[in-house]
Amino acid sequence: MIQAILDAVSLGGVYALAALGLGLVFGVMRLVNFAHAELITVASYTLVMTHQFPLVVSMVLSVVVASLMALLMELLAYRRLRGSNPATMLIVSFGVSVLLQKIYELVFGALPRSASVATGLTGTFTVGGVSITTASVVTIVLAVVILLAMGYLIERTKLGLQLRAAASDFQTARLLGVRSNRLIASAFVISGALAAVVAFVNVVGNPQVDPRFGLDITILALVGIVVGGMNSLRGSALGGFIVGAVLSLLNVILGNGRVYAYSWMFVIVIVILLVRPGGILSKFATKERV
Amino acid sequence: MTTRLRLQELLGPILIVIAFSYVVGLQSAQGLLIVQSTLALFVMVLALHVFVGNSGVLSFGHGAFAMFGAFASGIVTTPSNIKENSLQLQNLYPFLVDLNLGMYPSLLLAIAAGALVAGLSGLLLMRLNGLAAGIATFALLGVAYNIFFYNNRIGPGSQALLALPPFQFLEEPVVLTVLVMLVVYLFGISRAGRTLRATREDPLAAPALGISITRVRWIAFTLSGAIAGLGGAMFAHVAGTVQVQDYYLPYTFMTLSMLIIGGSASLWGATVGTLLVTGIGQILLMMEQQKPILGIVVHIPNGTRAIVIALSLVVMLLWRSEGVTQGREFKIGMPKLRK
Repeated sequence: MIQAILDAVSLGGVYALAALGLGLVFGVMRLVNFAHAELITVASYTLVMTHQFPLVVSMVLSVVVASLMALLMELLAYRRLRGSNPATMLIVSFGVSVLLQKIYELVFGALPRSASVATGLTGTFTVGGVSITTASVVTIVLAVVILLAMGYLIERTKLGLQLRAAASDFQTARLLGVRSNRLIASAFVISGALAAVVAFVNVVGNPQVDPRFGLDITILALVGIVVGGMNSLRGSALGGFIVGAVLSLLNVILGNGRVYAYSWMFVIVIVILLVRPGGILSKFATKERV
Repeated sequence: MTTRLRLQELLGPILIVIAFSYVVGLQSAQGLLIVQSTLALFVMVLALHVFVGNSGVLSFGHGAFAMFGAFASGIVTTPSNIKENSLQLQNLYPFLVDLNLGMYPSLLLAIAAGALVAGLSGLLLMRLNGLAAGIATFALLGVAYNIFFYNNRIGPGSQALLALPPFQFLEEPVVLTVLVMLVVYLFGISRAGRTLRATREDPLAAPALGISITRVRWIAFTLSGAIAGLGGAMFAHVAGTVQVQDYYLPYTFMTLSMLIIGGSASLWGATVGTLLVTGIGQILLMMEQQKPILGIVVHIPNGTRAIVIALSLVVMLLWRSEGVTQGREFKIGMPKLRK
């Protein structure tokens, strides 16, 4: 039971991190970046390929690689699309996603690459007669630390202020002197770094990295940011957490019916959206000009 | 009531699709297969155009309607003795085992299934706007995929149905496709179609003129669900097999990309997008297999085809973000491409 709750919180935490990465980019340029999945994947490949290095080195490398790739996506593709309609941007990001998947396939092969990363985290330990997996605790701690750090960055720094301003009204933020190129680039870099954290947690749990490694979590995190409320970063993170935690709990609650966990979760998502179309944290049902 | 029927806008795309079908389809058995599967995908693109193009709301849920269409048609056209004896169909509901229809009645069933699922889900989903609508339709796809994948009372679960009757002639899918193009165009110029486009252009002004956004969107959603059901079933009858994975993310994004690359707002855009994406894919395939194209053999290494396809999709959208046709209809004396 305790393990179930810990699992739910840790999965929720991971999804919150993924959703926050997506939410940052969505906030500054209205882009639903499907290719976030490939940032997670490339960071995971980096972790696996550099497993013989000290853990800290390979973690730093994965952050650098994912951030660089995020920056490249922005420079080469998304920069030209600013202000296009969201459907076009989404399809472009999907194209980028497929493109990178195929490149990974060519470079790393279609079969999973695996290596034990951070073996110290895979065991279990016992507290008061209850056996608990180390990974779930480490994930929770990591997620909390990163979320707190992001909270500080967003609430207390100048960059954070600009990000929030841009998320609520990009045009006005520009008029007030926010440098859009630099801000968008930093949003992408941060989202790349967050993707690397998500990758680390996932690789520890499942070190079988294939070209589609980041896909599932990104799709669910995308669902999460819409459920939570896309117009605020807090909403994105909350939505991601809810999706992850609900999915994890459903797997326990449904017992033999757990194969239908996704169906139930999607039904819950539809219900939430019908009640609060702007997301859980929206103050009123805003109408987007689609 | 309809407004302005311009014959060239309808006949142009139809003649081009027919010409493509016969020129490529009569080349070889492989050409025939390419044409049939392209037309099946094209019907799906048309379904997306009816809803996405006219309403401006993205839908990822049409794969669900295609799934329902494909499995409805697939289950009833698989012969009963095969259903009784195949391992993956042991848990099928008995009435589904006994039910047998010919291909054409089964296609009608697919249309009805698509329309029913779209109509019912649309009652709820059409209240939503923007990305919330996109994600809710995605959730619908997720539910349908999850159920078809695990429920072996209504179908083969994660396995494939293998013994569907495939199309016998080139004419079958061609006639079906032309009929769908006719319906799609007539819907576009109907009162409902034009009203829906008004809501796309200005979702605040349209209700002020007495238009119910939910209602006109629902009409288009249901019609496009019916067409998607047909498209899914046609796709199943090209190869004679159907499997739930065939209608999930790659299918959804492939058809959406075709629509958006061509230009989602017009019939001509849907046509151009489908033919362009298929054409690029086929040309690259021939290069990979070192076959001559117009007498010239260009060889590209194995595995690069998929990369080039994805890259060209991205580049095309960066070059012209409203699609190649920029949402305009077909016009003779091709229009100036830049404003």
